[in-house]
Amino acid sequence: MIQLRNLERYYKSGFQKSWVLKGINLDVKQGEFITIMGDSGAGKSTLLQIIGMLDAANKGEYNFFDEEVHRFNEKKRTELYKHYIGFVFQAYHLIDDLTVYENIETPLIYRGIKSKERKPMVAELLDRFNIVAKKDLFPDQLSGGQQQLVGLARAIIGKPKLLLADEPTGNLHTKQGEEIMQLFKELHNEGMTIIQVTHSEKNAQYGDRIVHLEDGYVREDKNVNELLERN
Amino acid sequence: MFNNNLKVGWRNLKRQPFLTFLNTFGLAIGMAGGLLISLFIYDEFSFDQMFPDADRIHRINVDIKFGGQDGEYAVVASPLAEIVLDYSQVEMTTRFRTQGSMLIKKPDAALNVKELQTTFVDSSFFEMFGLELLEGDTKTALRNPNSLILTKTAAEKHFKINEAVGQNMTLNNSEAYIVTGVIDDLPENSFLRNHSVFMAMSGYEDSRSTEWGSNNYNTFIKLTPTADIESFQEPLQAIFSKYLVPYAQRFMPGLTEEAFKASGNYVNYSTMPLTDIHLHSSRIADISPNSNIQNVYILSFIAFFLILLASVNFMNLSTAHSLKRAKEVGIRKTLGSNKFSLIKQFLTEAGLISFLSLLLALVVAFLAMPFFNELSGKELSIPFFNPIFWLLLVSVAAVLGLFSGSYPAFFMSKFAPVKTLKGGGQSSVGGGGIRNMLVVFQFAISVFLIVSTLVVFQQLNYIQSKDLGFTKEQILIVDDVYGAGNQVQTFKQKVQQLALVKSASLSSFLPTPSSRSDDGYKIQGVNEQDNNLQMQSWRVDHDYVSTLNFEIIEGRDFDQKYGTDTSSIILNESAIAVMEKSAKEALGMKVVRNFQNEEEEVLTVIGVVKNFHYESLKDDIGALSLSLGDGAAKMSVKLNGGNLSNTISSIEKAWNEVAPGQPFNYYFMDDSFNETYQAEERLGRIFIIFTFLSILIACLGLFGLAAFNAEKRTKEIGIRKVLGASVTQITYGLSVDFLKLVGIAIFIALPLGWYAMNSWLEDFSYRIEIPWWTYVLAAFLAVMISIITVSFQSIKAAIVNPIDSLKTE
Repeated sequence: MIQLRNLERYYKSGFQKSWVLKGINLDVKQGEFITIMGDSGAGKSTLLQIIGMLDAANKGEYNFFDEEVHRFNEKKRTELYKHYIGFVFQAYHLIDDLTVYENIETPLIYRGIKSKERKPMVAELLDRFNIVAKKDLFPDQLSGGQQQLVGLARAIIGKPKLLLADEPTGNLHTKQGEEIMQLFKELHNEGMTIIQVTHSEKNAQYGDRIVHLEDGYVREDKNVNELLERN
Repeated sequence: MFNNNLKVGWRNLKRQPFLTFLNTFGLAIGMAGGLLISLFIYDEFSFDQMFPDADRIHRINVDIKFGGQDGEYAVVASPLAEIVLDYSQVEMTTRFRTQGSMLIKKPDAALNVKELQTTFVDSSFFEMFGLELLEGDTKTALRNPNSLILTKTAAEKHFKINEAVGQNMTLNNSEAYIVTGVIDDLPENSFLRNHSVFMAMSGYEDSRSTEWGSNNYNTFIKLTPTADIESFQEPLQAIFSKYLVPYAQRFMPGLTEEAFKASGNYVNYSTMPLTDIHLHSSRIADISPNSNIQNVYILSFIAFFLILLASVNFMNLSTAHSLKRAKEVGIRKTLGSNKFSLIKQFLTEAGLISFLSLLLALVVAFLAMPFFNELSGKELSIPFFNPIFWLLLVSVAAVLGLFSGSYPAFFMSKFAPVKTLKGGGQSSVGGGGIRNMLVVFQFAISVFLIVSTLVVFQQLNYIQSKDLGFTKEQILIVDDVYGAGNQVQTFKQKVQQLALVKSASLSSFLPTPSSRSDDGYKIQGVNEQDNNLQMQSWRVDHDYVSTLNFEIIEGRDFDQKYGTDTSSIILNESAIAVMEKSAKEALGMKVVRNFQNEEEEVLTVIGVVKNFHYESLKDDIGALSLSLGDGAAKMSVKLNGGNLSNTISSIEKAWNEVAPGQPFNYYFMDDSFNETYQAEERLGRIFIIFTFLSILIACLGLFGLAAFNAEKRTKEIGIRKVLGASVTQITYGLSVDFLKLVGIAIFIALPLGWYAMNSWLEDFSYRIEIPWWTYVLAAFLAVMISIITVSFQSIKAAIVNPIDSLKTE
């Protein structure tokens, strides 16, 4: 599904380049649940953003379903991720001016889905995440866990092939975090490809593969089971 | 999608009430100002458009330079109309011979009614201007001598309009007329506004004169539908050689056209479209006072800038506050929104503000209308029931919304989600350069307007306090004294005996702009055309010079002791300058009045009066003569002060004794003088108001920006305070950037103001030099206003406890 070859991302300051990512090779198969780990500044978020097409690499190849993303312009990238990718953020990033219902509905509007068809889709997710009662509230009236539920619902309403999560539980306390991770696992079981960035070993256990970054390189890329065995 | 945008837009406005207020209020003021001025300008351009064949009607003008005097006239000699009627391009002609005010009554009525504007007019009047009679027959109404038609309002003062035709009327207590028709009142925006009595030209003896020496007839032509005005110019010019030269040769034998032109003299005929008259004609003897296209331009600029300022405000505030929206842009982009749908979102919001502002602007304009009418001297109203007006209004609001929203929309839609979603990286929004430019632009306009306002008022003040060569204070003018008939001398004596009256004088004219009378003069025995002159002939009495306090610089005033003074004349300095005589040489000189015709009379110069201003200070002082004579229209009464209303009622009592039933009209000379500069005064007041508005809008913008700036730097301020910065240092730090911008604006605006106001002043023959402190004051005001605006926000930010500001992250 995703092939990254010799991916590089750097920032120029004067004549110096400072690398955030260097020589990244990564293959993601459909249906995988990958966790990207590493210390602060290791390049986790940048990698996720590049995969999510919010950022572009300076060098290297990025193929997504055999499409050469690294050759795309912004408009084409937008088209692509609109249909294939959903995002979940650490800080939820809900739109303050929209209600829960409207936040979840927004991606569908951008895809040009008619109002009549949007309604049952949103209703189904509200039901699934147990937030029907909150549908007319605004984000600032919700707890963090509830906001992240909405964020997750919004990310998956378009039935993306790939779900990207940047520290999805970073701002939540343990119990809320577990609830969210449980949902990730369910989605994974349903066949969705998920890539998450996290510091938490515990969260990493929900996935089936861990990619460890260190100073912009892939230090380790193992199955969770392998790692468990090793320990 | 649109509904969604609208909903989100509305919520956004509600979430940021302060910003919404600044934006809406600023735009609404701009729009209301623009709306009022647009209505004003529309009215100015609508003048005389209502006449059915207005596009075919032209007036004949003449520019004359002769005898050291030159003038641009809206009137021509009486025979001209009949001559051009023979030209193939001309379908018909109509002449007006205006008479000013008249007293009118039914023969048996005790009381006269004063009608302010009356005129003799040719019988082609109706056909020329497509006028219908409410009563009477257009074919015969103005045919016979001593017939007249009235406007509806004028007729209703005497009888029902359906009884009007056939009624006898007496004009000025002496002339008998018969009413032959009633027309509707003439529109306020026509050149015949306020005219109420039209008398048949056939009853006016002079209209059949074949003399070319005096120009007294406003002459209109209507072209045939196929003719164009260009082809009319050449035959029109030919009138000079064909008729005027032979006429002049009668009393200046040997005069040739070549010699006439060689000495720099000219008689140039021209035409002016009827619909241009209101904005382009400022000629001698225009039928009604006209506006000036220059003022229309000035107002258009003001309206344009006002709206532009408000628009700029909107852009500035929106981009400044877009920080708050940056995150939303990022999220929307990750959710699959493209740039275009974001632009649509922001434009929808701009449109929403624009329409809110439009509603507010309508309310403001409606409430301000009476004051604006007072200011502009018009009777405008908002055309609420005109669908085209609404269509225009809505389209303008839409365009304005698009225009104001375009920059913020493109600006914001460019935000990269990677940056905005990281949080913290707020200061990277940018756009500061353009915002600064816009602030400079706003303040440059404000400074420019401040300079203009100061100059207009200084010039007005200069005019009003200038030594005019006579005293206009404490002078009461009793108008229309011919109402007293032969009792007028008795009236004068009675008034002179009143305790509070210093002196009183009867005269035909006063040194305030009004209709005039001039005659041809030459020095006896001198036939050179250069020293012949056309000059003002004012018939006055013995008390005129002393009452108005003119200064005799050579010779003497008229005196009862000299029985011969009826053939004496006093000239002003301009007159003897044309005659090329010094004041001493002029004394005792014989001059011939009306040397061109049989009314010729010889007068002896007994004195030279110092030049005094009798026309607007826009003009130079022309040649003028005073001589003794009757036919007084006005009495000037110099008062001693004391109880004014008592004095006036005593004078009125005296009037009623000598002229029972005649209207008693009076005014003060300085009021009438001030009316002359009404246009300038209006301009001044309009400047003040719109300068104020533009400054207000600029301040709203600056206020919003300062608030934004302080907010953006909350954390920095907190840190600086922890490090030991004082409130003063922080306030200074926050304000100084804005003041630099205002400084640049001043630097740009002052030269522009200097240039523009000097060209405005060139219109006045007597004008001020713009003093240096005008610019200093304008700069000072701009700086003060901006300091006050900015420091409010800066101080507010600076006195916050740093613990609070550091907690915001």
